[in-house]
Amino acid sequence: MKTMINRIKNSEFLTFNEVLRLKVAIVTIFLFVFVTLSIPLSTYNNFAEEVNILIPIGFGLLLVLTLLLTLINLNRWAMHFSIYIIIGLTVFYVGRTDYFYGYILFFVTLTVIIFYQDIITYLLYGGGITIYGIYYIMENGGTIVGINSTGVEFSSLTYQIILIGFYLVFLIQFIISDNIYEKMNNEWVKMNKVLEKYQAFSLQYLKEHLEDNEIDPLYKNSKFQQVVSELSVFINEFFEEDGKKIAEVVEFYFFLHDQEIENIVGDKELPFETRKYAIELQKYLINSRSELVSILFDFATLFKGDKKFQETRYEYSLEKLFENKIDKLLALSILYKYLKTEVTQYDKWGKVARVLTHEEITELLVSKEFREFISFEQVNFYLDNQELFEKYL
Amino acid sequence: MKQDTSKYQYAQLDNYKESLELAHLKFKTLIVNAIVFVLAGIVLYFMIELNVGTSAIVSTVTMFVVLFIINFAFYSYDDDHYNNLKLAMYINTLGIYTIVTTLILRFQTPSIFTALFLVYAITSIYQDFKTMMLSNFALFIIGSLLIIRFPEIFQLAENGASQTFYVLVFLIVFVLLLSLSSYILIKRKTFFYNQLAQIKESEIRNMELLLEIQKINTNKDLDSEDYYSSLLEFSVELSKKIGISNIFDRKIKILRDMSTLTMQEILEKYPEYNRDEIMKLLNMELEINNKMRKIGIKSSQSHGIEVTRKEIFSESQFKSFNHQGDNSYVMIIAFVTFYSLLKIDKPYLKELDEEQIKDIFYNSGYFHRIDRDIIDIYLENYEVFDTIVKDHLEGK
Repeated sequence: MKTMINRIKNSEFLTFNEVLRLKVAIVTIFLFVFVTLSIPLSTYNNFAEEVNILIPIGFGLLLVLTLLLTLINLNRWAMHFSIYIIIGLTVFYVGRTDYFYGYILFFVTLTVIIFYQDIITYLLYGGGITIYGIYYIMENGGTIVGINSTGVEFSSLTYQIILIGFYLVFLIQFIISDNIYEKMNNEWVKMNKVLEKYQAFSLQYLKEHLEDNEIDPLYKNSKFQQVVSELSVFINEFFEEDGKKIAEVVEFYFFLHDQEIENIVGDKELPFETRKYAIELQKYLINSRSELVSILFDFATLFKGDKKFQETRYEYSLEKLFENKIDKLLALSILYKYLKTEVTQYDKWGKVARVLTHEEITELLVSKEFREFISFEQVNFYLDNQELFEKYL
Repeated sequence: MKQDTSKYQYAQLDNYKESLELAHLKFKTLIVNAIVFVLAGIVLYFMIELNVGTSAIVSTVTMFVVLFIINFAFYSYDDDHYNNLKLAMYINTLGIYTIVTTLILRFQTPSIFTALFLVYAITSIYQDFKTMMLSNFALFIIGSLLIIRFPEIFQLAENGASQTFYVLVFLIVFVLLLSLSSYILIKRKTFFYNQLAQIKESEIRNMELLLEIQKINTNKDLDSEDYYSSLLEFSVELSKKIGISNIFDRKIKILRDMSTLTMQEILEKYPEYNRDEIMKLLNMELEINNKMRKIGIKSSQSHGIEVTRKEIFSESQFKSFNHQGDNSYVMIIAFVTFYSLLKIDKPYLKELDEEQIKDIFYNSGYFHRIDRDIIDIYLENYEVFDTIVKDHLEGK
């Protein structure tokens, strides 16, 4: 339970699959409460006695199956099973009883489905249970009319409108949040890729720096290799006694730095385990723009000079940064000059040593993606005067 | 020691997160008000059809109108818009619960009681932590009080048996499930805002790092004088071409002066410009400011980037030493290599002492990027780690 509470508290750091697993676990606990409650409640039912015994047992078995599915990491299947259980419980509770609390289960079922935050699941199962709820009220609305109600018609209409409203409002919420998250994620992934480009440049500069100063790269340094090996063996001792295997993997890790990983992965002669290690370790090589290098550069930025937040800190559009037309034009000229004179591209030997040509800059400036930096008006101005840009900047 | 994973967060995150959230909050406020408007219409229809009397109709309509006026006022008042909309959100939440509670007490039927769930759904659109707490609390308190104090609401015409206990249990389970659900959802939403704000700041800092490393490698800085001279020449020719006097000349002079003069001196030397204009121009300065260089770097790298839908929700986009499915040896080696790199002097980052590394690993998002067992082993044995590194790398 303590682990579960910790996982809920840190749920934002879990992967999608881990979150789904956690949600199934939470729903299972709630379902257990409902299944337990169904035992005393079955006495109120009009079912045969055997049925009243068999139904809770059946739900119990389904719960066990759901748990087993999470144990073997089939979390999506477990999610579906948990939804089937709550739908089954709802049908069971409202099927043969005429109690108001049974009706509340329609909302609980929708909440369980909402909890999983999957729009298709919500449309399918949520829509289904809402339709069933409306049908139930149409057929049995008279059985749950309050003593203060003015009549079956208004009571049923109220039940139906509120249930449909609940379903629709959550559908709107789904659409809004899906839309927002998709846009945010899209931007985040795009920025991640741009960031990787900066980091690849930084790494390339560092490699050139080492070459120019005739310093061996760190992955070739035997002392560094020893440290990594010894620390890995030390950690591994907490999990298994034999440190030989991890030491071999460390050796393989450093060996990979001088290899074409694609060749190793594609070499069918090599054992599957070796190729698998190559794929997994590739992410952490220190001589290419790997995940490890990206994390290291990000880590280094923690110590870089802080500037206070200004509204334009993350603004890169000349149109928004400057109000005055003269300023916008001057900024465009500086940008053109920067692209034409500063190295921003790889040359054919893979060094960051090439500048953009006038033609390449023109292609860039007129591209759709460049609207993030300059306006149409500025592009038109550039196109009308590009001979001056080329000659004097 | 209590863990504080925000200790090493970039200082600028909150401001940007606020601006990001504000745009969404505006939209959500409009949607919630539109739904409440539809709800008000339905309530009015029912009240008229049920002939509840003019005073009941007027009082209910007045409550809705007051709520709309409050929302409109907060939405229109631009000053501190973020906090205004937040306030409108809390008032709206409490307001809708109040109106629905009034309706439940007026009609006293089980069917209208379920409107509380609808109110919960409406307020959930905000996806705000405090609003959800408020909404969960309101649903639980109002629901429980109505069940306990007004059990006759739940009395059915055809079934006189008491349902108080089960209705209460179902309500508690319902609220608990909703609370957990909203807690997890909002935590993840906040995480997304955080990630986006973090990457914006990370981009700035990575560009600064790139410029720093570039300088280490090339040993030269940007030649600002060359830029200003070219700019002057260009502006002269451009003015000639379009047949005007050189209106750029003065501004280029200011750009040149910016690296040597103070703001006050510039304002005195160029009295035709005010502080705001000079501040804007400062973005263009190349000697002491690198805004234009960042625009140059970003614009040269941002083209040709495709993002597929598969990538948007892919876990592989999150960089960590804790990828599900990776062999435990791989996780260990990845972490150890990273840790060892922090213990070594690099051109862009000096070696870190053990206390600093331990503190960052424990009190930052890096804690969650490392396998839990591995980070625990490190935190419990960090002195051993330090000794092993020193044994091999001392004097390096």
